[in-house]
Amino acid sequence: MKHFTMEEVGWTPRLPPVEAETATPAQLAALEACPPAQRLSTYFLTLANDPGSLGERGALFNTVMYAPRGLPRADREFSTAVVSMANGCVYCTSVHARRFAELSKQREAMQRVLDEGHAVETDPRRRAIADFSEKLTLTPGAVSAADLAPLRAAGMDDLEVLDLIHSIAMFANANRLMQSLGETDAPE
Amino acid sequence: MDDLIEGILGIAPGSPLAELRRRRPEALKHAQGAYRELLMPEDPGNVSHADRAALALRVALREGDAALAKHFRGLLEEAGAQEAIMLAEDLSAAPMEGRLAALLRYADVVGSHPADVSQATIDTLSAMGLTPRDIVAVTQLVSFVPYQVRVIAGLRAMLQEKAA
Repeated sequence: MKHFTMEEVGWTPRLPPVEAETATPAQLAALEACPPAQRLSTYFLTLANDPGSLGERGALFNTVMYAPRGLPRADREFSTAVVSMANGCVYCTSVHARRFAELSKQREAMQRVLDEGHAVETDPRRRAIADFSEKLTLTPGAVSAADLAPLRAAGMDDLEVLDLIHSIAMFANANRLMQSLGETDAPE
Repeated sequence: MDDLIEGILGIAPGSPLAELRRRRPEALKHAQGAYRELLMPEDPGNVSHADRAALALRVALREGDAALAKHFRGLLEEAGAQEAIMLAEDLSAAPMEGRLAALLRYADVVGSHPADVSQATIDTLSAMGLTPRDIVAVTQLVSFVPYQVRVIAGLRAMLQEKAA
């Protein structure tokens, strides 16, 4: 199993990122649509090579992770950390595990999942989120209504379930982009 | 607004799931927008609309989503791109030659084993004459179909739940 961490992990692009000083108006406009805290990261500047897709995809990412109400932000971060582990993306796992720990103050619980996998999760809501996140990630064609029952038992309404589906799907996308377009400087 | 995912799932306007999805209007709008920008951008650079549809078809097939695959195959049929359909649908390990074949191999690795992409993989695409913009566009495209596959799978489960 890969070594997952919530410490900062580096990422080196395999293509030249756009430079903020020489970016075209279309590239700048696309970056504007992305989450403010991340839009000048090397990763987003690499994606800015194709501004058409970045503008739409950045806006999609922004609403999936940050839209108000519905699934609490900590749950979205927890889910995307579990998805990133299932997809083997050490970089994305580190970012979203760290955000979950900050938002929830459940750093130790997150660290246990990173070290031992989500089967050790004892909190019923988080366990339901993790099981569903992994299944929709790895075997989407096998997901059925029965897989929603544990989420409902944990008290999730329709909007929360929709938000969870969006978060999981978004990281099928993000994990592939991150692992393909750059090298994660994996911790030992 | 025509929505690809609702078309595929047969989600009727005004139905509970259609209404639910409209509580996240930005997600609806930008998923459709990303689809448009990735499959049929105004300026496709060096990756034609037919190449893009072939790549999307390939990923949908690898992901096992027959309905989404059918949609992308339809785009290629409209364009009369029979050869692209044949190449994209050949999931055997038989060696394939040519530019589209190389792009399909890239779609396979990003779609199924993204951790296996290396600097050499990217350099191979550059050596084929693809610009950084083309390479980012192709990577976005083959990474976006897995988003669509999981939204469709999740919504299908919600539809089943409501029908029960």
